[in-house]
Amino acid sequence: MSAFTQQETSAVAESTETINTTKALALINSQAPFACSDGKDSLDIALIFASFEQGVSLFFQGDGVYQLIDKQNGSLISVKDYLKTFAAFEFYDIEDIYICQQSLAERKLASSFHIDNVQILTVKDFAVQLVQHKHILRF
Amino acid sequence: MTTLHIVRKSAFSSNDLAQCLALATKADTIVLLDDACYNVNHPLIAKTLNEQPELAINIMQTHAQARAVNIMNPIKAIVMEDLIKLTFTHKQVITWQ
Repeated sequence: MSAFTQQETSAVAESTETINTTKALALINSQAPFACSDGKDSLDIALIFASFEQGVSLFFQGDGVYQLIDKQNGSLISVKDYLKTFAAFEFYDIEDIYICQQSLAERKLASSFHIDNVQILTVKDFAVQLVQHKHILRF
Repeated sequence: MTTLHIVRKSAFSSNDLAQCLALATKADTIVLLDDACYNVNHPLIAKTLNEQPELAINIMQTHAQARAVNIMNPIKAIVMEDLIKLTFTHKQVITWQ
């Protein structure tokens, strides 16, 4: 991924000082959905943490943004479509779902997702949100 | 002497497509499988279609559809049977994975 500019890095540092790390866990999803199980593993962890009422936020960056794209159909390639479980996020009170705007733009993807209540953030805002979490796992 | 290039990874997170295109000549054929289907929207493919229009680029139809990837001309949608035929009509096969 592209490196942060110095200005962006300092913005992140600034926010680290001023904002408490109040949320428990951030999961960064960086892989496309079907070729590997990273997305499924991340989903499992999100639902387990949410079941125990630990705050979980989801971040989609790089090829991870493909996990959210509308009109996918894993059954065509005999993959169990775990993406449909994303619809349960609301039930699990997983409300903080962030998408990297730059990753969408690079892939020429429209903002049509198969779940609602997602927030598209610039790289800078994405980083600011991320550092508010106590723990960060990347898949 | 022609080569069949089977590309399997997204060029947005891997260097495979760039390495493949660096070696491909105009008589070769490229097939996009699995996450390589995302490459239809990658600037490298657009550049190649522009600079080497003779180079055939195919895409596995089901793999693209599963990923909600739109197939546009001149990229040709193929099925698994076509891929097998291609392995016989080319002298070598390279799988980029």
